[in-house]
Amino acid sequence: MSSLIIERPLPHGGRLVERVIRDKEAAKKMIKGCPTYEIKPTLHYETGVPVRNVYREIMSICYGFFSPVEGSMKKAEVERILKERRLLNDWIFPYPLVFDISKEEYKELGVTAGDRLVLNLKGKPFAILDIEEIWEIEDPEELAHKTFGTPEDNPEVVKEPFNKKHPGWVIYRSLQPIVLAGKYTIINEPKFRAPFDRFWFPPRKCREEFDNRNWRTAICHQTRNVPHVGHEFLMKNAAYTGDVEPCHGILVNAIIGVKRRGDYPDEAILEGQEAVTTAGYIKSERRLVSMCLWDMRYGNPLESLLHGIIRQNMGCTHHMFGRDHAAVGEYYDKWSTQILWTEGIPSFGFPKPPTDVPYGLNIRPQNMREFSYCPTCKEMAYSETCGHKREKLSGSFLRGMVAEGVQPPAIIMRPEVYKAVVKWWKHFNYPFCNEKYVINKEKELEVDLEDL
Amino acid sequence: MAYFIVVLLDDNRFDKIKGTELEKEVQYMFGGELRCLNVEVSEELKEKILKEFDTARIDSRGAITDVPVAFLRELFNQVADKKTLGGEVIEGVLAKVDEIKELAAKESEFLPAPDIEV
Ligand SMILES: [Zn+2]
Repeated sequence: MSSLIIERPLPHGGRLVERVIRDKEAAKKMIKGCPTYEIKPTLHYETGVPVRNVYREIMSICYGFFSPVEGSMKKAEVERILKERRLLNDWIFPYPLVFDISKEEYKELGVTAGDRLVLNLKGKPFAILDIEEIWEIEDPEELAHKTFGTPEDNPEVVKEPFNKKHPGWVIYRSLQPIVLAGKYTIINEPKFRAPFDRFWFPPRKCREEFDNRNWRTAICHQTRNVPHVGHEFLMKNAAYTGDVEPCHGILVNAIIGVKRRGDYPDEAILEGQEAVTTAGYIKSERRLVSMCLWDMRYGNPLESLLHGIIRQNMGCTHHMFGRDHAAVGEYYDKWSTQILWTEGIPSFGFPKPPTDVPYGLNIRPQNMREFSYCPTCKEMAYSETCGHKREKLSGSFLRGMVAEGVQPPAIIMRPEVYKAVVKWWKHFNYPFCNEKYVINKEKELEVDLEDL
Repeated sequence: MAYFIVVLLDDNRFDKIKGTELEKEVQYMFGGELRCLNVEVSEELKEKILKEFDTARIDSRGAITDVPVAFLRELFNQVADKKTLGGEVIEGVLAKVDEIKELAAKESEFLPAPDIEV
């Protein structure tokens, strides 16, 4: 075998976290006599609109997407993350993750360290939290600023102070003050509703799927979008990296979580992505569409670090990153993610890239620019190779076309992808997420639970 | 400066103007894949549009953009009906301004889906 062969990396932290009890009788015994708490969405600190649901973090932790994280973080761990983006066990990690409740709820529950709390979801037992420490967030605004960085503390990449226009900042600003820290264990596996169910490939299952498909190398494409042809070409061409041959697989991993008005519905995103495969634009032997539950924090370089962790855990060898990766607004430099993965960002604890520090990652970045149509080449052309004037496709132009009910030409959006958009448009009476969708989604979530 | 509004034509819309004088006016983008018509807008009518629809913008080419979807749909209907790109189609749209505004107010919550098989 060539010494240039790239092997599938181990999970971040060395082993996959899996904290799911499948034996219902054992689960019942485990929760006997324990106090219960019904999971509630985190509400925007000013408007009261749902901005996060901790159930998604519990799912991603217990199924191993966030390995080696095992639960809600202790105070010292959050402080270490804010200082150097490392867990207490030294492995790198970008964000604080906590189980937060109000002071009134804390008083009512009367729990202390050492107690086991049963977490109900939609009225049914869902998980347990074995409380190891209880601490207080004294200043959520300070926590929010420290989570994302400030122009003073992180001058390499932060351009503007964060504020309430940033949805990730709002999540941290809106946390309740009391944190119950400790490990989560799912005791009653939620059932995904269609179409989410067929995209659920938690890390162990995903790695098995890679084995079945003989994928040694796989490149991840992060998405929160219905794919247009520019995305398709990005995926196809980024996959030409690999080791001694192009990547064996393209893993599309959609982040599914709280939505903002104007986003495409998650159902249309997943089925639109799936259509690229089923219609053969990239054959199914080479492409898998999957999802991860997470309420996006839009932390550009920090988000890219989380994406690297999730996809390494899923078994990927490579990860595509583009301009303004997982960004909103102009808080970060457009190329912050590329700076992190090529040089590092010392003020965030990375004097070198996250792949080059101890307890770092083992997934290769593939930094990409854009594809757009070139009338001279008569093809979708790469911005860094084609020397002609290309017809750039702006997202707002495409959205305007869709909103008007005009089918985009196949060179912009594949007809099968457009059909997926229209299918869910008919279902929700709207092509994008409207207020009704956003509110209903946080009420219904992506799952249902049976009785334990 | 000359102003205009782009009317996008998918196959469905193209069929409605095929064989008419308008077919000669069709312009092509994306290697001929995207067809459109440019409807002329006079200075006076541009002012009226900006006054009636506060989201409307003028881009660097003189194209009027960001008008409600209901406006654009009606604009196509007028073009297909009157078979012209002249000022009377914009006048025809503006004659229905109340109806369009009513639909536009609902556009943040409701948009009619295209009638295609899915
Ligand atoms: Zn070219």
